[in-house]
Amino acid sequence: MRRDDIESAILKIFAEKFEIEAPGVDDDLRDGYEFDSIDAIELLHEIEIMLATQLTRAEKKNAMEIRTINQIVDYAEALATARRQTGSAGPKSLSTTGP
Amino acid sequence: MARRVVITACSAITPIGRTRAEIVRHLVEGISGVKPLRNDGLLTERIHSGVYGTVDYPVDYDFKRSHSKTMGPVSFYACQVAKETLAASGLDSAFITSGRLGVAFGSTHGSPSVQRNIYKTFFSESKQEFASIGAVDYLKSMVHTTAVNITKMFGITGRVISSSTACTTSSQSIGFGYESVKYGLQDAMLCGGADEYDTTTVAVFDNLLACSSDFNATPHLTPRPFDVRRDGLVVGEGAGALLLEEFEHAKNRGADILGEIIGFSCNNNGGDLILPNTRGITDTIALALKDAAVGPEAIDFISAHATGTKMGDVIEAQATGGIYGKGPLVTGLKSYMGHTMGSCGAIEAIITLHMMAEGFVPPTLNLVEVDDRCAMIRHVQHLEEKTIRIGAVQNFAFGGVNTCFILKKVDT
Repeated sequence: MRRDDIESAILKIFAEKFEIEAPGVDDDLRDGYEFDSIDAIELLHEIEIMLATQLTRAEKKNAMEIRTINQIVDYAEALATARRQTGSAGPKSLSTTGP
Repeated sequence: MARRVVITACSAITPIGRTRAEIVRHLVEGISGVKPLRNDGLLTERIHSGVYGTVDYPVDYDFKRSHSKTMGPVSFYACQVAKETLAASGLDSAFITSGRLGVAFGSTHGSPSVQRNIYKTFFSESKQEFASIGAVDYLKSMVHTTAVNITKMFGITGRVISSSTACTTSSQSIGFGYESVKYGLQDAMLCGGADEYDTTTVAVFDNLLACSSDFNATPHLTPRPFDVRRDGLVVGEGAGALLLEEFEHAKNRGADILGEIIGFSCNNNGGDLILPNTRGITDTIALALKDAAVGPEAIDFISAHATGTKMGDVIEAQATGGIYGKGPLVTGLKSYMGHTMGSCGAIEAIITLHMMAEGFVPPTLNLVEVDDRCAMIRHVQHLEEKTIRIGAVQNFAFGGVNTCFILKKVDT
């Protein structure tokens, strides 16, 4: 997926799953939209579906400090790139640490 | 030191309506809320019973996503009646969040519809490795989901009691809430129970041959508490909430006082988990009267548990008749809406308050011919004008748990 496609997909998830319409890409999601750690876990599940891959526990932990749409897109883009480089959808071959 | 405990607000979602006017109209006109069981695509075809006490009207919710995201259907019901009760009480935010208000709220088993989705994961044939249980599924489905979604929504910081004793769930909520205020542990308690539309519960009772199945084509003719043609209970859905408050606190702020709780009892049969027990229920009633410091002659009305089962009704009638004889009027309110499980005690308390306010007692619906074995109490078979000064609400649950609380009209 290209970055533009990832951003569109993430914004679609936010609208449909979290009822957050068109947030600013650098808005603090926790302060501005009450997006909390439970939501973050749900978002990671959506990213797994979007990229058709399974995230490792370490990858999930690395996502817990993410606060903005831009950071989420960075995170998903890095995952997509890493999976493409390894040619695997499996978690054990992934080495990215996320943003 | 014991303090007086009054009820200053309430709200209900029932198969026979939501407002006092709607509920009273159903009672006065003899309109049933029992409907055909909806097909759930899973259990319905294997269940013999084809009836359900159904909330078949829309409920308008206005919850923020940050609140609703941890709520299953049962918590939507619970939070809605809690929200309306707090609004009706007139209590301000400072009091609600002060720690002086607690919550006693429960359900039969959390949210069974959410639990079903969790179970689907275990049996999924999906090849997708990322199929998993949602982050909020436990929060939506856990046993105390109703109570803590209420505390979260309103910032309530007092004690939390979350009973989950099937049919006595919300009567325990009311009783334990009453004791919390009476003995000075809290100045107010938001009490009640809820249960969502669920065929699992129907299947459980159906397996035990305890569900009604003879009236699938005519749902409004069942359940039939105390009637010779009764053939079992009808499971239903609903929610009820009551705001219990220390009397002086309520009086000083000029609150409406809907009634007073003057006694409560809870005991166990000490044996079988299913079969009702005359000795146990007799003790329940006697303990409630003792706690209220009144004799049986003081009771004007009894809301019987009266589910419409073969033996449950007989045992309740015998125990009730043994203490009261044919003194107080007795009505089985489940005849109008089925057995709303975890919410039945709260709903029956609210309906009793409505009857106190309007001065009437409705008949037990579908009670055409009283079973001789249930004839030792004063059944209501026609609408009666009646001033209820003191009423008792009886509930009994699987596990041998029994409760009774006593409500008194407060002259204002």
